[in-house]
Amino acid sequence: MAWYQVKASEADTVISSRIRLARNLEGFAFGKRLQNEDKKTIIERVEQALAGADFTRTDIDALTPVAARALVEQHLISPELASAKGPRALFRCEGQSLYLMVCEEDHLRLQCILPGLALRDAYRFAAACDDRLDAALPLAFDEKLGYLTHCPTNLGTGLRASVMLFLPALTDHGMIGTLSHQLSKLGLTIRGIYGEGSAAHGAIYQVSNQVTLGLSEEDILQKLEDAVESIIKTERELRAKPTGEAKLLREDRIHRAEGILRYATRLSSEEFFSLYKDLKQGIAEGLITSISHETLNTLLIAVMPAMLTQNEATPPKTAGERDMLRAAFIKKALEVKENG
Amino acid sequence: MKCEKCNQNEATFFYQTQINGHATSLALCHTCAAEAGLVSNKGGTEPFAFSLGGFPNLLGDIFAPSQHKKRAADAVCPACGATWSDLAAVGKVGCPDCYRTFAEQLSPSIRAMHGNATHTGRAPAKAQAARDKLTRTEALKKELKAAIESENFEKAAALRDEIRALQEKEV
Ligand SMILES: [Zn+2]
Ligand SMILES: [Zn+2]
Repeated sequence: MAWYQVKASEADTVISSRIRLARNLEGFAFGKRLQNEDKKTIIERVEQALAGADFTRTDIDALTPVAARALVEQHLISPELASAKGPRALFRCEGQSLYLMVCEEDHLRLQCILPGLALRDAYRFAAACDDRLDAALPLAFDEKLGYLTHCPTNLGTGLRASVMLFLPALTDHGMIGTLSHQLSKLGLTIRGIYGEGSAAHGAIYQVSNQVTLGLSEEDILQKLEDAVESIIKTERELRAKPTGEAKLLREDRIHRAEGILRYATRLSSEEFFSLYKDLKQGIAEGLITSISHETLNTLLIAVMPAMLTQNEATPPKTAGERDMLRAAFIKKALEVKENG
Repeated sequence: MKCEKCNQNEATFFYQTQINGHATSLALCHTCAAEAGLVSNKGGTEPFAFSLGGFPNLLGDIFAPSQHKKRAADAVCPACGATWSDLAAVGKVGCPDCYRTFAEQLSPSIRAMHGNATHTGRAPAKAQAARDKLTRTEALKKELKAAIESENFEKAAALRDEIRALQEKEV
């Protein structure tokens, strides 16, 4: 099962936890100085290093743009890896939720993504894989600067730890700006994902560490975990606030969102994000019991443009056709759940 | 000391680099350093949020344009052929060796991003073994000093042999 299909801890506010380690090989150049022949060599050496572990290789340069995009929409590879030129690959081990990008900005970018709040587990899996890579490959390292990376912003641990959060109440109270300011003081950063900037986004954010050098992995994880726990607490307090008329209005909005998702015949992704926001709150509050957090998270991934169309015999040609396909897909996904 | 760029404010940021093999230093006020992307413009020493694209202005914009030209003949990374201008243009290095070649030039930007920091945390097994060896040697040397001071020469001789053996051991 993919990370988004699994039942998670703190599912009312946390969608997923992710660890990313940037690693590079001594003796190979970066960026456009790295020749295609060298990229092939790196991919081969990584494949040998992972032999015996349960990894499957996908050559991104051999995929159609839609198939590569679908991997991005599942958060398994970065948009940069999808759109880069030349040999590049993804090695994945579904059992441990490990996704190793080869020949992205750095030679190696190892990711572990787990549902819910599970930074420690994700780090444990990533570190074990890092040990395996270290045993077989000459990882570029400096005593003072740590793991050497293409961009100096990633020096040191090369660790980017992040948590994807659902924060509708903080969003509605206009508190994301303040939160962002507080986080920056801690060396953490928050950014909106899915329809960022538009009024009707899904209130989904990613909080991650900014600084990678000078702090140990343990310090980085602890700091992020502490911040996330305090964000969760505030978010829950705010959600419990509305009473009387405000509460009734919100309940109405939540049930309307369910109705539209179940019965609409045409849904843009913007409208989906907005309905997602209401419905997920409804699930969290126990107002909606026929749809689970996992089902809704799966939908969030499945209705993205490439995921939606990659297996269609005749892909939709217009945005309108795609919106009809999206509505039909959601309707079917929720029906199956109801009968099962 | 006044800021060398605006000549108005008190300099609080001191930048050092190598140009044409000469050590050059520049004293800047907080505003000018922030404009060049060397410190957070929010004040204080907190790490600031970088755009996802890296640090485009950090390496390139610190000096006035006239001084950019002088850098044409600067050092070349023997491993990848990149020059300091190449690095400054994209804000990224050409290969892992560039961090050694351009250590001095990169240092202010790295400090601006991460603070005055040294790596702590994970290391490749080989580097970890070297770290362990260093820690062990330091501890033994301390013991040796204590043994000599207390005139326990038998113990001192044993410790000296142990240190010697440790240092000869390959990592
Ligand atoms: Zn100034
Ligand atoms: Zn180089």
